[in-house]
Amino acid sequence: MADWDIWAVIAVLGVATACTRSALWMVGHRVTIPRRVQEMLRYAPACALAAIVAPDFMLGPQGDVQLAVTNPKLLAGIAALAYYLWRRNMLQTIVIGMLVFTVLRVSDVFH
Amino acid sequence: MNGSRLNSGMKRGDGDDVDGHDPVAWREGFQVGLPTLFGLVAWGMVVGVAMVKSGLTVLQASVMTLVVYSGSAQLASLPLIAAGAPIGVIFATAFVVNLRFVIFSALLAPHFSHLPLFQRFYLGHISGDLTTALFLQRYPRTAPERGKLSFLKALLYPTWIAWQAGTFVGIFLGSAVPAEWQLGFAGTLAILCILVPLIINSAALCGVLVAAIVSVLAHGLPYKLGLLVAVLAGMSTAIAIEEARGRRKVRHG
Repeated sequence: MADWDIWAVIAVLGVATACTRSALWMVGHRVTIPRRVQEMLRYAPACALAAIVAPDFMLGPQGDVQLAVTNPKLLAGIAALAYYLWRRNMLQTIVIGMLVFTVLRVSDVFH
Repeated sequence: MNGSRLNSGMKRGDGDDVDGHDPVAWREGFQVGLPTLFGLVAWGMVVGVAMVKSGLTVLQASVMTLVVYSGSAQLASLPLIAAGAPIGVIFATAFVVNLRFVIFSALLAPHFSHLPLFQRFYLGHISGDLTTALFLQRYPRTAPERGKLSFLKALLYPTWIAWQAGTFVGIFLGSAVPAEWQLGFAGTLAILCILVPLIINSAALCGVLVAAIVSVLAHGLPYKLGLLVAVLAGMSTAIAIEEARGRRKVRHG
């Protein structure tokens, strides 16, 4: 991506934050969001975040699907997920996940 | 100390200056927010590292974090920027990821609808998940009240500073660490931790699984459109299951 493109991306990301965080503040009066709509406003980000991380966990460097236990990112992701479900601590989860990933990557146990 | 308490107590209720600085409320807000600041510094560092590791320059990463101020949207945009996705796809992704803030702003904004427009804009812009939750615990009712604004500011400003400080440390740390450490993966793990609490019911879980599978299968689509296809598929799944559940409840209700 060219330099100019990245600056444009940064600008539109700023707009994305402003639209979602500030819009209802600007409206001024009270807006009640129906419960159903609220649930959908949670489904959408969950789906988007899942769609973003899934390829990083499951695809190899060449874009090939790697679901075997020899994929260090997938194993590290599973370990991190399990740890997060257990302790609900984000930073510890990141450290554990990076640790598993790095140990698998450096020791190269599967090759 | 007694004097200032008395003073603010006297001002309470006269209604002229509900938004004036209230040192007692400020201190209370700061103390409530304090425990979250350490986590924010560290989380900012992760995002900072991920930004420079995905190829942004130090300047670009710094401006991004000041302008966007949304860790999840920033992390979400990084793989798309690295892959050269069209700007429309990147905007749509960040927008969808940020949609959850609409819920929080709907809860928080009515407390401050009397403030000037520009102040509402920037207070909204820097209000995140955590600060909103902490504020609503202290002030559940929306009526104007002396000290509210000071309490909110005492949550928002330190949060902003902690996050930005952490991010800048991460940006410089990240540019010093060799690429083969693959520290950018920490960003992926961070997204995983934001994702899990958003799975509020079985409909959301099914949506997330479908979105994940479709995004892997549709990964080869041009312009990273596979991502949007995956989000739409996941959303439709979640809504369909939600609808089916609703109907069942009505029938057996």
